[in-house]
Amino acid sequence: MDNTAAIGKIVAQAGLLVLLGPLVTGFIQKLKARLQCRQGASLWQPYRDLAKLLRKGTVQSDSASPFFRAIPVLVLAATVTTTVMLPVLWAPAGAARLPMGDAILLLALLALARFLCAIGALDAGGAFGGMGASREMTVGLLVEPAMMMAVFSVAVAGGTTDLVHLAARRGMLPALAWQAPDLLALFAMLVLALAETGRIPVDNPDTHLELTMLHEGMLLEHSGPGLACIVLATHTKQIVILTLVAALFFPLGLAEGSEPLEIALAGGALFAKLFALATFLGLVESSYAKLRFFRVPQFLGLGLVCAFLALALRIL
Amino acid sequence: MPPLHGLEERLASWAEFERGPRPQDLTVRLKRVEDVPAAVAELCAAGMALASLVATDEEATADRDLKLRYVFEPASHSLRPLPDMFVTLLASLDPARPELPSIAVEVPAANWHEREAQDLFGIVFSGHPDPRPLVVHDGWPKGLYPLRKRFAAGQRPPVEPGEEFPHLLVEGEGVLEVPVGPIHAGIIEPGHFRFSTVGESVLNLEARLFYTHRGLEKRIEGMTTIDAFHVAERVCGVCSVAHGLGFCEAAEQIAEIEMPVRARGLRTLALELERLYNHLGDIGNIAAGASYHYGTSAGLRMKEAIQQVGERLTGNRFLRGLLVPGGVRFDLSAELARSIEAAMAATAEALASLMERIENNPTVIDRLDTTGLLSLPDAIALGMTGVGARASGVDRDARRDHPHAAYGTASDLNVTVVTESDGDVHARLNVRAAEARESMRLVRALLASLPSGPLRVPMPEALPPWRIGLAAIESPRGAAIHWLRSDSAGRVDRYHLRSASYANWPAVPLAAQSSIIPDFPLVNKSFELCYSCTDR
Repeated sequence: MDNTAAIGKIVAQAGLLVLLGPLVTGFIQKLKARLQCRQGASLWQPYRDLAKLLRKGTVQSDSASPFFRAIPVLVLAATVTTTVMLPVLWAPAGAARLPMGDAILLLALLALARFLCAIGALDAGGAFGGMGASREMTVGLLVEPAMMMAVFSVAVAGGTTDLVHLAARRGMLPALAWQAPDLLALFAMLVLALAETGRIPVDNPDTHLELTMLHEGMLLEHSGPGLACIVLATHTKQIVILTLVAALFFPLGLAEGSEPLEIALAGGALFAKLFALATFLGLVESSYAKLRFFRVPQFLGLGLVCAFLALALRIL
Repeated sequence: MPPLHGLEERLASWAEFERGPRPQDLTVRLKRVEDVPAAVAELCAAGMALASLVATDEEATADRDLKLRYVFEPASHSLRPLPDMFVTLLASLDPARPELPSIAVEVPAANWHEREAQDLFGIVFSGHPDPRPLVVHDGWPKGLYPLRKRFAAGQRPPVEPGEEFPHLLVEGEGVLEVPVGPIHAGIIEPGHFRFSTVGESVLNLEARLFYTHRGLEKRIEGMTTIDAFHVAERVCGVCSVAHGLGFCEAAEQIAEIEMPVRARGLRTLALELERLYNHLGDIGNIAAGASYHYGTSAGLRMKEAIQQVGERLTGNRFLRGLLVPGGVRFDLSAELARSIEAAMAATAEALASLMERIENNPTVIDRLDTTGLLSLPDAIALGMTGVGARASGVDRDARRDHPHAAYGTASDLNVTVVTESDGDVHARLNVRAAEARESMRLVRALLASLPSGPLRVPMPEALPPWRIGLAAIESPRGAAIHWLRSDSAGRVDRYHLRSASYANWPAVPLAAQSSIIPDFPLVNKSFELCYSCTDR
């Protein structure tokens, strides 16, 4: 009974994350539009786009293998699975927590989704897909180890890689009080989040210029419901990254039980955190140009160095 | 004609000379077509540059030949200040065997001109380094030359099974071919770009255009001046005023009509508004190429404001409908003049603010600097014109070098030509911004001192027969050369437009080869060339 209730809660908060994913994108788009003195599309536009794609038929390249059809579903599945590993509203301390996976599995699943996406892009045989895949894997190579290190720098102090435990303990453990390594790790995570969510200065999600694309280049061969799956996976990945940053560094307001007041407070805290982080992404995207592709490693190197320093400081 | 002193003596053994088409121009009639390369070399040595190449089919006339007219204009520093004149080198070809030596190796600017004449007239340029078809695409029947007079414009030729176009192949380990277009993701016109790349660097780029060749030059033949004008005005959307004006000036030259001063002023006003909205939009497009969202929106916003005052002046967002052969159709009211004045003030402020933001944003500047380099010798060899040429240091502007409309008629209507020397995207952006400021100054000067007088003078229904009009107009993308000849009935016998984009397109692949693939859209947008001006 206890387990069923716990699983119910975990699934409920994971579902909430998937449902909110497109809204975060809609909010960033709206913010960007307002900063450019445009009215912009409605906050709900990403949901409408998904509904539109789901209604459409699928067109597939002749050179694509049958595996190509499975790619969107697998990418979505890998990404959605990560949502159960995060503290969204509840972070029960202690044994009440079921082992649903930890930060290592979360990052590995995101890497798997990236890999599948790249394989799909190569499978279809288009030139843009290949270029997008090659660039995305280059970025992945730099982002993934750095993100691991940033997460570990917190996990080392918390004594666990389970994100829910980490978040629940953060307020209690003196070792997890804000210290210099946290600042470095947070900075590293913010830099890496820009790359991981496919935003300026690393990638431009709004472009129609195929030659410049990273993530979008890999999606060009997908259409209809398959594209909807991948787009939903992209929205989900974005909110997962933001929630990960929030769980590691700002685990405030998370509920322990299921009192309505607690839940309401946790919901408010979740919105506030997502709002702040999405505003950060939107502001950066409106203030900078996209980097020259060969400058991206320098930019991500900054994240890598900070993550490394954070981990080294924590261990020493 | 002091700058070209001695040219006539040097060419005397090969040619006859006459004045024309305009009183200050010179026409050199070659006795033998084999002498074309030698005569071209003499003209180039004298500091002239090829502006246009016009082929005409005169089989039905007394001459019974095909004629090629190499139109040259002064270009070299040694001739400065550049005199407003054209030298036309005239070669007569046997219609049964139209063949002559190519000059494309010595004069790269002639490359496309010769290939176009080869496709549309069947003229063979022996020794051309790249005789692949340019204008006609796969499937066009061999031996059918649409600009020959005996080709009936109404016919629908059968499509022959075409071979695949022989693109230049780059071979070697790791070389990847990336085909882009002709259908693109944005709302732009068709063009095929074939990149040969290793990793992200571009080894070679071939651009194939002319997917929507409309045969406008053929369509216009036999039309009355006014009908033909409407076609010429619509060659391209964003150069409507420039192309319309070029046709008008050529036709008015033939009809020997003196334009009233107020009409000249209003035409200049429209031309500058057109340049202004193009340059402002292009600045936004460069920002879009660098993914600098704020700049994109700011550019679009400024362009929109200018297009809206333009619509109030002409009734059309693309400023069509104001010009007409013989003058202009609408007057400028005092109220509208105040609106334009206000739009200039607002735009000047917005442009200054945008350029300041761009210059102070290191991420944007890093994208623009050293991207898409084009050297001065390359720009000169390709015969480039307009912003792209001036950003590489070519000090040419048809508004100063071939004064038209009201330019140069008053001291404050003298155009200050802006040049940069770096030849990169940043230089092209800076030239655009400076020219936009100069356009605003010219608009203000025009509004302040617009002379009164009639708006138009009567234009004869039929032009005087067999006369040539030649006009160079500085369109937003550079100098466009209009060549017009009337037939025996006073209608259009032949009209040829060498648009600025036509002259500049070959520079884009060259500039792209110094960049990486993801920078190509930025390089392309920094030239911002037009497809329809090319696919006439």
